[in-house]
Amino acid sequence: MFHKTELQSGVNLYTRQTAQFKTVSAAIKFTAPLTEETAAARTVLANVLEDSSARYPTRTKLRQALEELYGAVYYTDTGKRGNEHIFTVYAESVNEEYLRNPDVPVFEQLLTLVTESLFKPNLADGIFDETIVDREKQTIIDRIGSIYNDKTRYANKRMLELIRSGQPASLSSSGTEQTVSAVTSELLKKTYDQMMNEDTIDIYILGDVDTEQLIDRAQTLFPFAEGTRKSVPPAASNVNKGVSAAKHIREKQDMKQGKLNMAYSTPVGFKHPDYPKMQMMNGVLGGFAHSKLFINVREKESLAYYCSSSYASHYGLLYIMSGIDAEQEEKTASLIDQQVEALRNGDISDLEIQQTLALLSNSIRSSFDSAKGQIEIYDQYKLLDENFTSDKLIEKWERVTKEDIQEMAALLTKEITYLLSGREAMNHE
Amino acid sequence: MNKIHFDQLQETLYHQKLDNGLNVYVLPKEGFSKTYVTFTTKYGSVDRTFIPRGGKELVTVPDGIAHFLEHKMFEKEDGDVFQQFSQNAAAANAFTSFTRTSYLFSSTSELYENTKTLLDFVQQPYFTEKTVEKEKGIIAQEITMYDDQADWRQYFGTIENLFENHPVRIDIAGTVETIQDITAEHLYECYETFYHPSNMVFFAVGNVDPEEMLKFVEQDQQAKSFESPEPVVRSFPSEPDYAAKKRSELYMDVSKPKLMIGTKCRNTDMSGKEMLIRELASDVTLDILFGRSSDFFTKAYNEGLIDESFSYEFNLENGFGFAAIGSDTEKPEELEKLIKSVFEDAKNNWSITDEQLERIRKKRIGLFMRALNSPEYIANQFTHYNFNEMNLFDVVPVLEGLTTDQLKSAFEDLYYEDGQTTMTIYPSEKSE
Repeated sequence: MFHKTELQSGVNLYTRQTAQFKTVSAAIKFTAPLTEETAAARTVLANVLEDSSARYPTRTKLRQALEELYGAVYYTDTGKRGNEHIFTVYAESVNEEYLRNPDVPVFEQLLTLVTESLFKPNLADGIFDETIVDREKQTIIDRIGSIYNDKTRYANKRMLELIRSGQPASLSSSGTEQTVSAVTSELLKKTYDQMMNEDTIDIYILGDVDTEQLIDRAQTLFPFAEGTRKSVPPAASNVNKGVSAAKHIREKQDMKQGKLNMAYSTPVGFKHPDYPKMQMMNGVLGGFAHSKLFINVREKESLAYYCSSSYASHYGLLYIMSGIDAEQEEKTASLIDQQVEALRNGDISDLEIQQTLALLSNSIRSSFDSAKGQIEIYDQYKLLDENFTSDKLIEKWERVTKEDIQEMAALLTKEITYLLSGREAMNHE
Repeated sequence: MNKIHFDQLQETLYHQKLDNGLNVYVLPKEGFSKTYVTFTTKYGSVDRTFIPRGGKELVTVPDGIAHFLEHKMFEKEDGDVFQQFSQNAAAANAFTSFTRTSYLFSSTSELYENTKTLLDFVQQPYFTEKTVEKEKGIIAQEITMYDDQADWRQYFGTIENLFENHPVRIDIAGTVETIQDITAEHLYECYETFYHPSNMVFFAVGNVDPEEMLKFVEQDQQAKSFESPEPVVRSFPSEPDYAAKKRSELYMDVSKPKLMIGTKCRNTDMSGKEMLIRELASDVTLDILFGRSSDFFTKAYNEGLIDESFSYEFNLENGFGFAAIGSDTEKPEELEKLIKSVFEDAKNNWSITDEQLERIRKKRIGLFMRALNSPEYIANQFTHYNFNEMNLFDVVPVLEGLTTDQLKSAFEDLYYEDGQTTMTIYPSEKSE
């Protein structure tokens, strides 16, 4: 897959030469521990770095430069994985081979633009411009607030806050409105220095380019300071202790549809040897259109347009999400419970197992058909095996039996049933 | 079989029109694992008044029926088609737009089994009153879900404001009320009229051998019998140039207000190259006026009138067209004024330069090349263009030839007296 070159301790370059795409892609990933405060500062920083650079000191100049490079893409993003915060710089441009008389070497210039933005940001007197910082803080605050508008996402966020308050599973990778407000230009500079000097860094370059030549130039292109870069220690297990009964919480908003969500904890996380079994169990339960939830809740009973499950392996959680008429809460909840119960009782057909294996395999193979997919999947799975391939993953799924699935279902502990619904629907309570 | 090589893009498109009228296209992509296959009928939510196959009189069917039909195609006497696709490792889906209904799958193995399933399920309708009734609950939940999505409500609110009579103003899925009137008989009537192969396109892109695939589809179609092709007669009400409603507002549980300005496109009776030029010229003009490097964007963003949700788009089909520009904003009145002043300035003092055009031209060519990495994009755009007698692979040459005069005439049809509307969503009182 990717060829790894260690540039220094904690800084790795991963390259892949392929003619599959008409573009060349790059991603630079900075990893640090996830806390509300660092998430806020790093997300504001992501926006500020993307805004301008010493060479292109205004947003307009930077955007025009990218347009001149045939609409080259350059953006930053933050995300989380377990208790890690990941700051990513993405860049992608057309491979000039496909352009009629390109006036410039497009990817080469994009790489220059991006590395300059990173190593020579737009500073005045050693700190970031306050006007830009204030504006980007507002942008992030607006972004955090806008989750409220998407009731499906909002319901899931609220549910996580109710069971994992203050823990990585419920923290936003953008921080909170409060922690973002508290970010100053000075803090931002300090965060920037820390990120450049102390984060673990993974650089990906993928496309039909001379990767040998890139590796030779890497030290010049990415002159990160030598230093101590510590990887983030794995999170302490957050499995719910004791046998407290699952919570049942209802909340109201001015809305029409009811969002009935559930969360279960599982001791099986991403690095657990049973991880592939849990993926298969999730697929049989609610990952696909042949899954028990879709067939029984949607197709047989017409209760929902969507009812599915997803496995958040980095947090040892499994969620079920559905959109229903709130009047049907009890009926739907008990039907969902029955599907989990069916798995625990071994009510699993060979067909269900075969379909789930087929779709998981199709999904992993398909995700390699985009440059970003190749980078993101590799970046995650390299934690398990640097030489992983989709075939190796598929082999593991192939070995999963009905008994394994039954065993995985038995490991689920329901923590909460959560209903978000319109005001009027709740009068019957 | 026709073979069209696009030298600059290094792509080769294979095409064959079958005896039953079906157009089959295949685009192989080297290095890809998956194949993305679509089977699409030129039938969408706007096709509500038409002469049924074998009939003489126009009929008008209940709103939301094309979308309802899409849902019901997946159910057969012996079960659900999703099951078959899953078994053969394919992820299947479908969507209904204003003008098209598309059925698709993507898979990395068992390509021909899946292709067979796709062709068979779309060409073998099975509806009963019981299964139709059952679906009403599911679709009602889908409609209710969209009812809670402010962006969706605003988009359709804007279109509804712009069009007085044209059915583009009706939500694609209809309403919980209108779908109650749908019967199995309606579904058969629509199916027979619009799902004839001569009204459809098959497109496969990705890891596929073109000649083998063309042969496979041809043999499959030869083994089935179809009535002879007949042109579909649709009827659309006449639509004035002006916007039906100058403004409307709505209160929803959102974090801050949302503003959208819609402009209605006049002179939309076109197809082919003329339409492609018009579409791309409108896109480029909007990009110059409202894109991220525009004076507008810099000002609006710096003054906090827009945030990351800002977006603009342009849609053109034969018979209707519109642009929509919107953002979440704490200052909807100020933002409205600013957007309108950008339009007014362009109208009164047209000043788009060759340099601006050159830069956005380059940007659009690059974006198009990038989009060609995506089998989904290729198949979906290709079909949209194909139904309007355009060719996706003409995009780059047309962009290369665009002139500022073409931008100006596109703009004149997009922005004129009385052709605009404003749709605002304000936060309702927050829930306790």
